[in-house]
Amino acid sequence: MEEKFDAAIVGGGPAGISAACILAKRGAKVIVIERGEYPGAKNMFGGVLYGRALGRIIPDYAQKNCPIERNIVESRVSYLSEEGSISFSYRDQAFFEKLQNNAFTVGRAKFDRWFADQAKGFGALLVCSTVVTDLMKDGAGRVIGVKTDRAEGEVRAKVVLLADGVNSPLAAKTGFRPEARPGQIALAVKELIGLPEEVIDERFGVSGANGVTNEILGSVTGGMNGVAFVYTNRRSVSIGIGANLADLARQRVRPYEMLERLKLHPAIEPLIKDGKPLEYLAHWVPEGGYDSVPKLFGDGFLIAGDSAMLFNALHREGSNLAMTSGRLAAETILEALGKGDLSSATLKGYSERMKESFVLKDLKTYRRFSSLLETHGELFSTLPKGASEALRQILTVDETPKKARRQTAWEALRGRVGLFRLLRLVFDAWRAV
Amino acid sequence: MAKNTRGIEVAEIIPDKCIACQICIGECPVGAIELNSDGVAQVDPEVCIGCGKCFESCPVGAVSYEKKKRKKVVEAKPSGPDVEGRGHSGVAVFIETADGLGAPVSWELTGKASELAKQLGTRVLGFVVGSNVDGVAREAIAYGCDEVHVMDDPLLGRYFSASFGKALADMCAEVSPEILLVGATALGRDLAGVVATRLETGLTADCTGLFIEKETGLLLMTRPTFGGNIMATIFCRQKRPQMSSVRPRVFAMPAKDPTRKTANIVSHAFAPPALELPEIVRFIPTASQGGTDIVDYPALVVAGRGACDQASLPLLEELAKLIGGVVACSRPVVQAGLLPYERQVGQTGKTVAPRLYIGVGVSGAVQHLVAIQGAGKIVAINSDPNAPIFRVADAGIVGNYQQIIPELIAQLRDKRL
Amino acid sequence: MHFAVCIKQVPDTAEVKIDPETNTLVRAGVESMANPYDITALEAALGLKEKYGARVTALSMGPPQADSVLRQALSMGADDAVLLCDRAFAGADTLATSYTLSKAIETLGTVEPVDLVLCGKQAIDGDTAQTGPGIAARLGLTQFTYVLDVEWLDPGKRRLQARRKVEGGMEVISGPLPALLSVELEMATPRRASLPMLIASLRAEIKVWDAKAIGARADLVGIKGSPTWVKAIASPQLHRAGPKWDAAESVSAAVSAALGELFSDRDFEAGFAKGWKAEG
Repeated sequence: MEEKFDAAIVGGGPAGISAACILAKRGAKVIVIERGEYPGAKNMFGGVLYGRALGRIIPDYAQKNCPIERNIVESRVSYLSEEGSISFSYRDQAFFEKLQNNAFTVGRAKFDRWFADQAKGFGALLVCSTVVTDLMKDGAGRVIGVKTDRAEGEVRAKVVLLADGVNSPLAAKTGFRPEARPGQIALAVKELIGLPEEVIDERFGVSGANGVTNEILGSVTGGMNGVAFVYTNRRSVSIGIGANLADLARQRVRPYEMLERLKLHPAIEPLIKDGKPLEYLAHWVPEGGYDSVPKLFGDGFLIAGDSAMLFNALHREGSNLAMTSGRLAAETILEALGKGDLSSATLKGYSERMKESFVLKDLKTYRRFSSLLETHGELFSTLPKGASEALRQILTVDETPKKARRQTAWEALRGRVGLFRLLRLVFDAWRAV
Repeated sequence: MAKNTRGIEVAEIIPDKCIACQICIGECPVGAIELNSDGVAQVDPEVCIGCGKCFESCPVGAVSYEKKKRKKVVEAKPSGPDVEGRGHSGVAVFIETADGLGAPVSWELTGKASELAKQLGTRVLGFVVGSNVDGVAREAIAYGCDEVHVMDDPLLGRYFSASFGKALADMCAEVSPEILLVGATALGRDLAGVVATRLETGLTADCTGLFIEKETGLLLMTRPTFGGNIMATIFCRQKRPQMSSVRPRVFAMPAKDPTRKTANIVSHAFAPPALELPEIVRFIPTASQGGTDIVDYPALVVAGRGACDQASLPLLEELAKLIGGVVACSRPVVQAGLLPYERQVGQTGKTVAPRLYIGVGVSGAVQHLVAIQGAGKIVAINSDPNAPIFRVADAGIVGNYQQIIPELIAQLRDKRL
Repeated sequence: MHFAVCIKQVPDTAEVKIDPETNTLVRAGVESMANPYDITALEAALGLKEKYGARVTALSMGPPQADSVLRQALSMGADDAVLLCDRAFAGADTLATSYTLSKAIETLGTVEPVDLVLCGKQAIDGDTAQTGPGIAARLGLTQFTYVLDVEWLDPGKRRLQARRKVEGGMEVISGPLPALLSVELEMATPRRASLPMLIASLRAEIKVWDAKAIGARADLVGIKGSPTWVKAIASPQLHRAGPKWDAAESVSAAVSAALGELFSDRDFEAGFAKGWKAEG
């Protein structure tokens, strides 16, 4: 077709829509091409968003009726063995007052549609049920647009932003980034469990619009490298678990069985008791960390979000990184459009912005986290049980002298893991985190 | 429960519970729900028809809608003073004719009309429109009409929407029945909308149940809607006649009494419409197999993916014949090219309500299940004990259908009189 | 020539999914869609337009969000789209709907007379199949229901010949324009919009007409113009969860037990014994 856009964005998820908002707001002519019937139709995430990331794209999101479920005031991290659970939690008055909406839960279907409506409101064109099949290139190899699966489906654009997620047939076809290896991918499954609002309030010790996130590590993943979570929505609880795709394939574990096991854990079961399953979803998560992030730009194109493997495996932040990378990509595109230079010389500014931002800094910080999890299998197998037994020893009240009890506890732990291995783990973990 | 000005008990959203998921907005058949400025759903009570679809669909129970009170959604007033016009009486049946005989559905409706007329203390009227239809008029008496009104004209030899529409509407205007029943055949569905529009009265299509409300004498009509997801009971308050179309085989065929001669036959003159009528160029009969409408049968043997092979069809057909039905199928069987699309039961095929449904190797995808909800009895035969169809079945047999069906045929033979 | 196509927005009931692992219903938000029969009618109109030359106007009555079905019509190739949107239109039964649509078609006709009205055989949510005949009766159009194919259309003689489904077969029938066609799904396969058309449809202005714009009487539209009332609503029983028997040990015992359960309902047994005749 004749029409030429300033930017063509592949994918209507958080990364693509963030970029579309920024670009359209500044008057750029933007088209977003989404393969689902509507934005969010093919998306899934844990459910936590960060006010700062969203606020930099839509400052008045709260006034614009952003469908917030609960404002997060407490974060818990639990370490589960088969039967026990060790938890740390942090709750701060600041999250009730000053830091309102520092983090909050949203429902994907509602949020994505709301977010896309904002982009449309700024003037972005959103085309759904359309699959991008190829990149268009000129003689010099510069990307000049995309091809879609519709008749007369070529879209010419000065720059293309690839925000089509981790599972990208386009990447496989064009090689704009290496295809993700199973070891770099986690398969996450999530269930939405409906509960009355009062029941959620009571079980999580919150009220009204406030909520809790609970990240879970330990043996729930059956010795595989993975983590789980429980988040509170207004009238439902999101419970999810993810594990490495390579591990899942190797151990022939079905993800929903893992989820069922998690739901039956004595520390989790009371939280979701008598709930009504509303929705079951599964999705790929790029968890290769810093080392799996591809080159983020080329002549005429940029990569953002999951497509760029931007995911913080420790903090379970995907959409936060996606939105920030989408915003930084858009800012780079605006600069390049201003200069009239869409070559990699200008677009590499995106890579620099990313390095300056928390996105890559965080990923770099946790660079060793992924490999820590991979090399220290005991984190997910023997250690949880050892730690639990140790604590069970210490906390059991009978007439054993406390000193003797501490000794037994220590032995419980060491018996499981081995002293050297334990020291090594502590050292590695400290370096990684 | 709040009522609107029309007396409908409307649905209300509980704002604290509403998650603004907007499912109800999509479900509401009349667009009565919107998101308000607080970001929660709100029902416009004047637009709401009290159908409860929002209540059914709400994932979080945020719609208040009293199930128990559904029977009394509208306080219907006695039909006397409310009804427009006067002197409407009699339960009329449009007698469809084919090759000089009345269509079976018309006699089924005559049987039902006799029941309704008895409750109302009124007569059963047969409305016969066509050319050379004396025989049909006499047949109508034999099936229970107390009075037969005939419009016999050479111009009515062939069915056209415009001529028959005018003829039947004119007859209604002259005779003033309080109820008019029409068989929901291809012809009846073509005709009923025209007549209702000409008479400016209400029409409830494809009813599966007709009752007289004792207190008011109103005709209550139930029909499946939303692809069979919901059964609605509908009535026509002020306009007359109260019109309903009913599919064949919904009601039983009454006994024929050829000795019955108590009824009058009244002739009416036909005034043709001003419009030019179309012309039938030719008729192409369908081969007997493809013409079968599975919807018309009181019993169905439905083949699913698990019974999807040519060799089994004779066995299924034998069972179907025995139970007074035909073989239908689920989608995979059509996709495999084993049976034509006309035989497909399901959301994308046909919604069926046979008295007896026997699913053979049907796993029971939701799309299939919603289309068989109206079935009287559901029997499931499947080798997989966890097949979802068992959850909607009245009785299930787990095992190999090739062994089960011959046994079933043998045992059912003994049940037939 | 000028063709008008009536399109209804309906809930996408096929959207309800089942999770294959847990066998529970997955309800990720029920979407709305254009009635498939109506989209077939639109495709048929576009086919006739390409063959004989005509202007195609898509019409829909519904809430503001029903404009999406009209955008779909534009993306497929309709020349114009009008949304009939008025609070007063809500709650309409078939009589009020056919009145409103026929008033809109009359209004369209004041600019360019409508030669052909096309609509789907029925809507998948209501299944009444009565709105088309109602429009034909009101506007005095030649009525062609259950149409499978238009064999020819002669703009000069103002006549068309169509093949339609009737009891026991098909009928080829010819009649004068203006006419109304209610179409079967077999008539046409809806096209997928090209990208430029899709983009143009997203940018198009959809005309919105209220009751006043079409000169409709307030007492004949929407719930006021609807003689039928909904008295009660009930869900048909989906879950019956009757007993099941395993035929592994004894086929005859399992069959006998299942039939025993079935025929414990005396009325059903009697109906079956009589071959479903003379009951109820």
